[in-house]
Amino acid sequence: MALSIPCDLCGHRPFTEFAFGGEWRELDASDTEEEFAREYLPDNPEGPQRERWFHAMGCRTWTTVTRDTRTNEIG
Amino acid sequence: MGSFEFEGRSVTFRPGDTVASALYRHGVRTFSRSLKYHRRRGLYCGTGDCPNCSMTVDGQPAVRTCTVRCAEGMRVERAGGWPNAERDLLHVTDRLHRVMPVGFYYKTFVRPRFAWAVAERVIRRAAGLGALPPTASAARKVVRHVHVDTLVIGAGLAGLEATREAAASGSVLVCDEGLAARSVAPGSAPDPIEELRTAVASLEHVTLLDEATALGVYEWLHVPLARAGELVHVYPSRVVVATGATEEHGVFPGNDLPGVMLGRAAAALAGPHGVRPGDRAVVVVRTEEGVQHLQTLIDAGVEVVATAVSPALVQRVPEGAGEIVAGGDVHEARGGSSLRSVVLRREGLGKRFECDLLVLSLGLVPRDGLARMALPGEDVTVVGDAALGVGIAEPGGLDGMVCMCEDVSMHDLEQAWDEGFRNAEILKRYTTTTMGPCQGAMCGRALSCFAASRDATPAPSPVAPRTTARPPARPVTLETLAAGVHEIVDRRTSLNELHVAAGARLDRSGGWLRPFSYGDWREEYRAVRERVSLMDVGTLGKFAIAGPGAGDLVDRLFPCRIDDLEPGRTRYVLTLDDAGYAMDDGLLARVGAEEWFLTTTSGGAGRADARLRNLADRLGLDAHVLDRTAQWGAINVAGPLARDLLERLADDSIDAASVPYPGFADLSVAGVPCRAIRTGFVGELAFELHHPRRRGPELWAALADAGRDWDLMPHGLDALELLRLEKGHVYIGQDTMPDDTPAKLGMPWAVDMSKRWFVGKRALERMGELPMARRHVGLEFSGGPRATADLRGEPLLVEGQVVGRITSAERSIVLDRPIGLGWIRAVDGGFPDRLRTGSGATASVVTTPFYDPDGGRMRG
Amino acid sequence: MAELRTDLPQVLAILGSSDVCDRVEAPAGSALLRVAPNEAMLVGTDDADGVRADVPGAALVEAVSDAWTSFVLEGPDASEAFARVSELLLPEAGWLQGDVAAAAAKVLVEAGTITILVPANLAAHVEERIRADAAEVLTR
Repeated sequence: MALSIPCDLCGHRPFTEFAFGGEWRELDASDTEEEFAREYLPDNPEGPQRERWFHAMGCRTWTTVTRDTRTNEIG
Repeated sequence: MGSFEFEGRSVTFRPGDTVASALYRHGVRTFSRSLKYHRRRGLYCGTGDCPNCSMTVDGQPAVRTCTVRCAEGMRVERAGGWPNAERDLLHVTDRLHRVMPVGFYYKTFVRPRFAWAVAERVIRRAAGLGALPPTASAARKVVRHVHVDTLVIGAGLAGLEATREAAASGSVLVCDEGLAARSVAPGSAPDPIEELRTAVASLEHVTLLDEATALGVYEWLHVPLARAGELVHVYPSRVVVATGATEEHGVFPGNDLPGVMLGRAAAALAGPHGVRPGDRAVVVVRTEEGVQHLQTLIDAGVEVVATAVSPALVQRVPEGAGEIVAGGDVHEARGGSSLRSVVLRREGLGKRFECDLLVLSLGLVPRDGLARMALPGEDVTVVGDAALGVGIAEPGGLDGMVCMCEDVSMHDLEQAWDEGFRNAEILKRYTTTTMGPCQGAMCGRALSCFAASRDATPAPSPVAPRTTARPPARPVTLETLAAGVHEIVDRRTSLNELHVAAGARLDRSGGWLRPFSYGDWREEYRAVRERVSLMDVGTLGKFAIAGPGAGDLVDRLFPCRIDDLEPGRTRYVLTLDDAGYAMDDGLLARVGAEEWFLTTTSGGAGRADARLRNLADRLGLDAHVLDRTAQWGAINVAGPLARDLLERLADDSIDAASVPYPGFADLSVAGVPCRAIRTGFVGELAFELHHPRRRGPELWAALADAGRDWDLMPHGLDALELLRLEKGHVYIGQDTMPDDTPAKLGMPWAVDMSKRWFVGKRALERMGELPMARRHVGLEFSGGPRATADLRGEPLLVEGQVVGRITSAERSIVLDRPIGLGWIRAVDGGFPDRLRTGSGATASVVTTPFYDPDGGRMRG
Repeated sequence: MAELRTDLPQVLAILGSSDVCDRVEAPAGSALLRVAPNEAMLVGTDDADGVRADVPGAALVEAVSDAWTSFVLEGPDASEAFARVSELLLPEAGWLQGDVAAAAAKVLVEAGTITILVPANLAAHVEERIRADAAEVLTR
């Protein structure tokens, strides 16, 4: 599938208009153990991954998508 | 009629000639030397698929001459061969075939270690397809972006039919490489393709692009087309691949001798070009078009001594085809520098025929590489001959060249199989078959059939599995790929022209074009320390943060205390990432109850914007960010006379109470509305005047004019480097490492751990439990080089072990001694305070700042 | 052929919640661009006070004209010239935002005229790019 990111406002755009924000991560952790895992042990799945993209060339808002890392299919 | 130059000789050509046909008529039979073994290669496919006819044309190497029309004054020469392609002494490598088996470079020249370094140089000079032109072409390649409903690749019969059909429902772009050969036998009039082409090109919404090579089918869908002076990026909703088929490559001993050629090549020479490809020919006919090629040869006066024909086509063989060998095959071709005889075989019996031409029409192999690049779900269809299925066949004879581009023979494939490379993909990677200019057009099928036939497990489908097709589909120059790719994007402030007029040395820094010096940076430095100076800091990131949630946003983004910052006051802030590492620094100003103003480093502005928006979004805060980076310029007025200068121009008071340190005030300077922010970056009294961008030149001129009697001069980044170093300020990215926490930077005061939460707090808690392994330090040197700046980047050592690095170094002018910044690792639980530099100087750890340590000057 | 003209536009930025931005109306002679869920832009006016009065509850209403430079392409080959510097597919009339000559631009299309707004600090770069890449179709 084509790697285009669906921006809520601008519709489907080529990924080159975006900055990649990485795998979705919780903002905080309850203890330092969990903090370490949160920071350094992402799931990195071979399959659907929840991730953040920033429409740098367009509306400059953030969007969360679920992309299959094997096929680049979104949704 | 006309002539071109070929290796010092003049060659005449007729209308419609390709360079290859003109050379053939001229008597040239060796068109190139093969890549590895320098074997003679003659015309073979005639359709631009095989590599044999490649020559250097007008300085451009690897041009397939069978596809290029002659032009007056062209310069053509063969590549490869030493001293030349005709008499190539390097042909001896062919005799060394035994000691240069496939993959030999992985197994030889291993010991002694220097052997490969020597051998590589020799091998590089011996191999290759020609020399690159030493200069870039003058004409610049243009880029175009085209959106269209349907893209049809290939304007033959099938492609044109598909175009006509698609034109009924949308816009169509049909492209064609425009090569000379056709699948229809030349000479049969009227040409149905020409008629159809004229009809289709006149349809509305149809664009016909000639001489355009599709480089690949990329995601999105996106198909770049390479043409002579441009690169056209096509974005179609659907693609139709109509690239036709090639004639099948025959594999048998001697198959790459000059004189062995495919049917289309022979027929093109004999028919439209009027050149007899040979005098005595053996012809193999296994396809319908093969019958037509045979007729063309007979009509041209070639003596056909034997024809091997498949049983189904025996009845179609015309008169004058010599001895008919029904169901016969080529056993081998023999000759020295060119073909001399062919052995045909049938049912185990062979017969030799003396000849100088062997014409092969063995079958059709779809040219479907582009279609196979498409991903599942993409709207890419294949029509015409490109959609032919290809069944498995017994691989060719006992030996013969499988891959002519890379000089890989059947013997090489057998050897690779024996070594354990047991499927087509791995054989491809090990032997490099299909990796040459033909990209498998000639050899792909033979490779797949070889692997399939040797495979013990029965294949589930009768179709030979093909190796993966990847772009580019045809060789393409880097110059073409670089079309539309420009130099680094540089941002400029509104003062840029003033800097240029003042003779500044401008260069790139952090994505901006900035003045580094206006002449003598030391003079500029002195102006700052002793009098007053201006600097263009319009490159700073600048953000307004407003809304009910703005306070929450900045409180959670920055690690320091925020809630006690009063309107009119500023605070130095570090930005940490999730892992607690310092990413950027800047100044935060409280403007009002729900309005803040943030400045960041020039290089960090883009990320700061994204970071602010991300956190606001994740926390669901009603906070809004306005990027003022471009909207406002900024001029730093720095030096002991800074206030005196501004008093001459300000309409409002700028005394210490009106514009306190640390703080700011919105006022008017020379009639220009400014936000004057007190800064301490260089350790002098300084005012950073943020103003509307368009009024920058006016403000700069007014300041420069008002300071004339103090010999005011501007300063650039070179002077700033020392000014800030003397003040002990780190440059994020130059002095810092990607994993520097505030503690390591010696800035624990920039963090308030009693805050409930901020970005990176949990990480700092975790790391706070660990001993600090590295810290930043100020340094002073002795016994160093004359140019202290040379110390920058040198390692720091304790007893010969590297424990740190110098990140900044310069001779302080005001203190008259060499100073620097760097980082050092803990050694045996403590940090050393005396070290040696890589070049032998002594470095002592000292506290910073070096200059104005109590901040009296900047607080003035 | 097409003509390229540089202009200093009047631009107003309105930042506020989605509901607030929904209520923004374009004064006569200006175009309304809803550039983000919580941000609206008015091109052709810089009357911040007037708009602020009409949109109570906005977090920030500010004239940001200085931040933008506009390039206007006019003539029969305007879209051809545009296609040399951007892969964006333009509507017959309307606006969109995206990559033009490597700048984050807003593009307005009306009656064959294409107006490209780029951040002012990239204006020099964008002008160089358009003039160089579309040289074939631009009049001197």
